Amino acid sequence: MTSFVRRYGTLMALVAIIAAFSIASPQAFGTASNLINITQQMTLLAIVAIGATIVMAVGEFDLSTASVVSFGGIFSVFLFKLGIPAPLVCLAVLVAAGAFGAVSGFIVARFEVLSFITTLAIGTIVGGVTFWLSNGATLFGDIPTGFRDLARGKSFGIPILTFWLLGVSILAWILLDKIEIGRRLYAIGGNREAARLAGVRIVSNTTFAFVCSAILAALVGMLLTGRIGSASPTGGGGFLLSAYAAVFLGMTAFREGEANVPGTLVGAAIIAVVGNGLTILGVSTFMQDIITGLIILAAVLVRRTGAQGR
Amino acid sequence: MIKSEPDNTTGAGQPFLTLRGVKKHYGGAKALDGADLVVEAGSVHSLVGENGAGKSTLIKSLSGLIAPDAGDILVDGKPVTISGVKQAEALGFRFIHQELSLVPHFTAVENAFVGRTYPRKGPFIDRAQMRQTIAETARNIAPDLPLDIPVAKMTTGQKQLVEIIRALVGAPARLVVMDEPTASLSDGEAARLHQAVNRMSEQGVAVIFISHRLDEVMQICDSYTVLRNGCTVGAGRIAQTDRAGLVHLMSGREELRGAAHIPPVGNPVVLRLRDVPYGTRDSRVSFDVRAGEIVGLYGLVGAGRSSLMKLIWGASKHSGGQIELDGTELRAGRIGDRIAKGAAYVPEDRRHEGLITSRSIADNISIAQLPSMRTWNGLPWTSRRKLVSRSKTVQTTLSVKMGSPWDGPLTLSGGNQQKLLFGRWYGRDTRLLILDEPSRGVDVGAKAEIHDLARRFAADGAAVLMTTSDMDELMALSARVLVLASGEITAEFSGETLTPRRVIDAAFQHQTEKETHA
Repeated sequence: MTSFVRRYGTLMALVAIIAAFSIASPQAFGTASNLINITQQMTLLAIVAIGATIVMAVGEFDLSTASVVSFGGIFSVFLFKLGIPAPLVCLAVLVAAGAFGAVSGFIVARFEVLSFITTLAIGTIVGGVTFWLSNGATLFGDIPTGFRDLARGKSFGIPILTFWLLGVSILAWILLDKIEIGRRLYAIGGNREAARLAGVRIVSNTTFAFVCSAILAALVGMLLTGRIGSASPTGGGGFLLSAYAAVFLGMTAFREGEANVPGTLVGAAIIAVVGNGLTILGVSTFMQDIITGLIILAAVLVRRTGAQGR
Repeated sequence: MIKSEPDNTTGAGQPFLTLRGVKKHYGGAKALDGADLVVEAGSVHSLVGENGAGKSTLIKSLSGLIAPDAGDILVDGKPVTISGVKQAEALGFRFIHQELSLVPHFTAVENAFVGRTYPRKGPFIDRAQMRQTIAETARNIAPDLPLDIPVAKMTTGQKQLVEIIRALVGAPARLVVMDEPTASLSDGEAARLHQAVNRMSEQGVAVIFISHRLDEVMQICDSYTVLRNGCTVGAGRIAQTDRAGLVHLMSGREELRGAAHIPPVGNPVVLRLRDVPYGTRDSRVSFDVRAGEIVGLYGLVGAGRSSLMKLIWGASKHSGGQIELDGTELRAGRIGDRIAKGAAYVPEDRRHEGLITSRSIADNISIAQLPSMRTWNGLPWTSRRKLVSRSKTVQTTLSVKMGSPWDGPLTLSGGNQQKLLFGRWYGRDTRLLILDEPSRGVDVGAKAEIHDLARRFAADGAAVLMTTSDMDELMALSARVLVLASGEITAEFSGETLTPRRVIDAAFQHQTEKETHA
């Protein structure tokens, strides 16, 4: 029984929150269209959070995430303005972001610098590059319709963004849970020295995790730009803390304190549902932040005390 | 050793501490199933038993970390309930764990006061008073312990002494529990620790001493309690028993000591070291290990045995000389190369260098062989079915006592954890097996099983290079012994020349020479 609660408690909390909002506001919250709306709202956050999950699997943090999201948006519009075709732009943005991730990961793994510090520095650099490219202004215009359609509209009644989330989730889940590299990443996160002595290559695997995180962040930057039709040099600002909040909420679900993709999805859903529900109930945004923060604290505390009670 | 009966200030013949019929279940597993323990005031009491016999659980019930399901705890004949760490502290119980909990850059004096009440002068900490308090305690326990250097610069033995002093500061201590304090100490350091234990007991502090080194138990303890499978199976005075008696109680069988493996004649050389420089001195190491041969590397603590093992494994880089495996030269610092050529390594410290404690047993034993766990050849997709069947194979062939393959490795006893580290390399053609302290902190029965495992690897044609500070283990396993001192192989013994005395002689002789030259 207790192990059931420990495994599925966070998921049950999500269901309970949805139920509570549905009762409080049956006309506005509990409708199919609003629930679809929520999946769309959580998509971008969830994709960033999945990148964070991969970095957390190797036991590290990537604080450059928010800067890379902004960079992804700005750099893509910057390239569009040069008249470069959309597929090339997408490729260039992902490669550039991947390179930033590779530098972070390599420094963290090879020189054993704390990832907090390394990615703070890289994030600052990326932020600087982003402002330089944009002259500090929001960029718009010259964005091809085809590019924008990748992030807006619906297919079979479901928002396109939801398909992105599904695709990324499935790929990340396969990566972490089904194929060999995932086991290696988790081994590094669990005990780096033991993993190294068992033949796991620390530098290449850690670098890979940071590359994944950066590429997903840049992807979100582009999707965001496609959806709203412009890019702001601070557009990714809000993603960092909520993404890690989602991962930490997710670490309380399904597994014993390990970052995992299904958990992260539940975590992102909780954050999105609470935000949406409170907005519908007319709660102010600052109050929403306070409540979201309290929920994260509560989830972590429940887990800690549960673990001690064993 | 003859010791006067300690004064019993608490009444006529009343034992200071009594545990009766203590039971503790974790889920379906019985950790304690009616354990008894009687400790007299000021005595040194040995708590012995194989790993998993329930020693830690019994100690945890004294420290308030767990609440027993049943049973009584009496202090001075009065029943007590220990519901938390603070209460255990108030009863005068102190605990020194195997993994020391000192702040590395604090001195002995500063460490001793962590978590205790600091002496004050106005609003400020009175450092002079602190030092004086500790100096007084230290004078009685360990007079030559340096008090003013960071503990990071101390030896493990000195750190243990700091822990003892820390235990005696503050509210009066009546019982100090020490868990394997000498496991990683050299003989000299262990002797110093034994002295400290005796002095504590002379001051009326009872000591519960947990150790797998039965010689020292015989030497320094007054009385003993033997646990097996969560029950007390024997207790009494040390003077009235002997080593064999304790082993018999612990294991329910005679101590197993296999005959040394006969070196195979004419087997090819598998591992060849030539002029490999290591350590800080300008010295080089050369030796061979043949297929099917178990070679023991012996040296005093600090001789650098583990770092040589790591060098051979590629965990650190050698600069110069040659390390060859089956005739191919190994590149410095490439662990992957060695694994690909059939080498295997069981590190010294299973918690920090061996097990990935957050992952399952199945993951731990497959992490070095993931490509053989594939669902489809050529695709890196890992098959759960193969993970499970590998776990079952390792479980049966290495006789690991475990539940589900998806449990964490820390659910197992130390001996079984150690078997997992062998299991990590099981199931392929192992050419070279490097063992660093293969059975440290493991009970007698598991030790014998681990020795069998090492012999089995050798019998299957692996060259086995082992280092150990356990003389019995060295003798039981090695066909040949190399003595390492000051960065060089200073002696080699095999066949009839291989005796403990000669090995120790060789190790110490060089040490003395070095000191004379210095």
